[in-house]
Amino acid sequence: MKLVRAELERLGARRFVQLMLVLLVLAFGVTASTTLAGSHQPTAAELIEARNQAAESRRQMDDVYQRCVDRVNGNLPPGAEEEYFPADCSEVDPVRQERLPVATDFLSGVFVFSQQAESLLYFLIAFLVLFGFLVGASYIGADLNSGGVVNLLLWRPKRMTVLGAKLGTLLGGVLGLSLLASVAYLATFWVIGQAAGFPGHLDGVFWRDLGSVHGRGLVLVLLTTVLGFALATLGRHTSAALGTAAAYLVVWELGARLVMEIVDTAHPDRFMLSSHVGAWLTGRVEFWDATACATATGFCDRVYALTWQPALAVLLGLTAVLATAAFLVFRRRDLI
Amino acid sequence: MSAVIEIEGLRKTFNSVRNGRRVAVDGFDLTVGAGEVHGFLGPNGSGKTTTLRALLGLVRADGGWMNVLGAPSPTHLSQVAGRVGAIVESPQFFGNFTGYRTLRLLALAGGVPVSRVDEVLEQVGLHDRGDERVKGYSLGMKQRLAVASALLKNPELLILDEPANGLDPAGIREMRDLMRSLADAGVTVLISSHILAEIQLICDHVTIISRGRRVAAGRVEEVLAGFDQHEFLVRVAEPERAAELLHAGGLPAVAHPDHLVVGQVDDPTTISRLLGEQGLWVRELTPLRPDLESVFLELTGEGAHPEVPRQVDSGARDRVIELDTGVGEGRGGDA
Repeated sequence: MKLVRAELERLGARRFVQLMLVLLVLAFGVTASTTLAGSHQPTAAELIEARNQAAESRRQMDDVYQRCVDRVNGNLPPGAEEEYFPADCSEVDPVRQERLPVATDFLSGVFVFSQQAESLLYFLIAFLVLFGFLVGASYIGADLNSGGVVNLLLWRPKRMTVLGAKLGTLLGGVLGLSLLASVAYLATFWVIGQAAGFPGHLDGVFWRDLGSVHGRGLVLVLLTTVLGFALATLGRHTSAALGTAAAYLVVWELGARLVMEIVDTAHPDRFMLSSHVGAWLTGRVEFWDATACATATGFCDRVYALTWQPALAVLLGLTAVLATAAFLVFRRRDLI
Repeated sequence: MSAVIEIEGLRKTFNSVRNGRRVAVDGFDLTVGAGEVHGFLGPNGSGKTTTLRALLGLVRADGGWMNVLGAPSPTHLSQVAGRVGAIVESPQFFGNFTGYRTLRLLALAGGVPVSRVDEVLEQVGLHDRGDERVKGYSLGMKQRLAVASALLKNPELLILDEPANGLDPAGIREMRDLMRSLADAGVTVLISSHILAEIQLICDHVTIISRGRRVAAGRVEEVLAGFDQHEFLVRVAEPERAAELLHAGGLPAVAHPDHLVVGQVDDPTTISRLLGEQGLWVRELTPLRPDLESVFLELTGEGAHPEVPRQVDSGARDRVIELDTGVGEGRGGDA
């Protein structure tokens, strides 16, 4: 416990961590202030007009669907046949749409919390992922490089305990900060929505969905923190983690993707970590495979999907392998 | 006197793709008794730091046996770590942290009362600079901070690798006084250093390592006595004639322009008598006692060829060749 306390103080005192916190606050401040500056509370007239526009939009959707069905049944009035309709009218069936137009869609210059909270949360998660990776890498990398770990081992000559305490403290610190930042971030925008915008429809489904995205985001933040820590431990330096990440992005996500497309590899996106990250965060992502139906004769669906379960397995597996390797290597390594 | 540190047959080889195989420590033995101030000497690359790192569990030994304060190292080192203070090769600290915070974090991690921080800062002369960031410290101040970190635990055994690095003459004297006061308080001190005169002044025991092997060990005066050639420096008017006369009298003598050195002298009055009988009057007769530096240079072969640029740890590379070919033993091993 004493070791964890000391490590927590050391983590908080690191200049790099403080710099990243300042950047987080800055990004937060800029986003909040521009949102505040570009939003106003809608008047009663604006709300009535938006509701009317939404109702009209829904009515038009019903109308298009009905005419599509009429065309299929041969009931279209003369002159209307030239209008475009999809072959399958279910594509324009309002009941089958993901969401129907609502009044807030037609509020111009108004920040609507219920509509924008999710994308704002994704931005925060992206920052926290970057924060976790960089802080995780520099926390152990700088310590290994500067002799801080050696100093600590002279006091606590138990390598697994020391490295475990460092990782545990780091994860606890990053999780605590992520929770605090998320609460402060969402609360600020909720207040902006209440005071200078429009809160929107905040029912149980909204909060459940937002909580789900938040939970998945936090898991991703912790996984990337472990990845940064493990890569820097293996490479003995912060730059080892940064170099590995940069090399992966350039060599695999760009280079290998290009090669796979050239050689017509089936479903190339499934080999990319970015695809699995997307699948984990959103629950399901669909990809278009141009090569999928080259030899097919009947119906062929070129779309394939990645879901969160295998995505989580891939991300967890990779993190576990690298973390285990880091601990095993650190256990036997000569610290010179 | 019970042994606080015991090392027997320590072996360590470093393998690297770029540099190949390098034997750093080759069957090294070391014993440090309780209450000793023990000097650990050796040229660069001789295996001093590797030995200390292996002893402290930072480097995995390939063979041998080590014991610290009665606990086998590194397997049971954690049982006695709270009683051992150590610095190994100028430790680096985070420049952004103050000296006080650096020590405070170590004290927290080690379960030492934070009140000790002020005490050790005072002890090493950094009390007034403890609130400054380490990046503003001079090399000597960083070294003092390192020693302070080793003293935090109020250790029974203090292991210091080059503690005088970067210290000015006054700092070296303060460090010497600190070591002495610690020894007087019953702390066993093992100091690795290149400053041989300091070691001779501070230490009561010494171990010399060369090419990964122990070449001398024991009380300082005993080690020096082993190299006493019973030589005398003699100043007379005609050194060359005097040398011939002494040779004729059975004393080997080497003439220099203004003096001569006479060896194997059991009774210095023999020199005065032999020269006086021939009308040569001795102006100075000084015994030449070996100091640690001359013994060190002789044992490690460091001063043998001053005209040839010396290669760091070349001895260790030679050892690899000898081991690979199975031919002979190194000079260090024979001494």
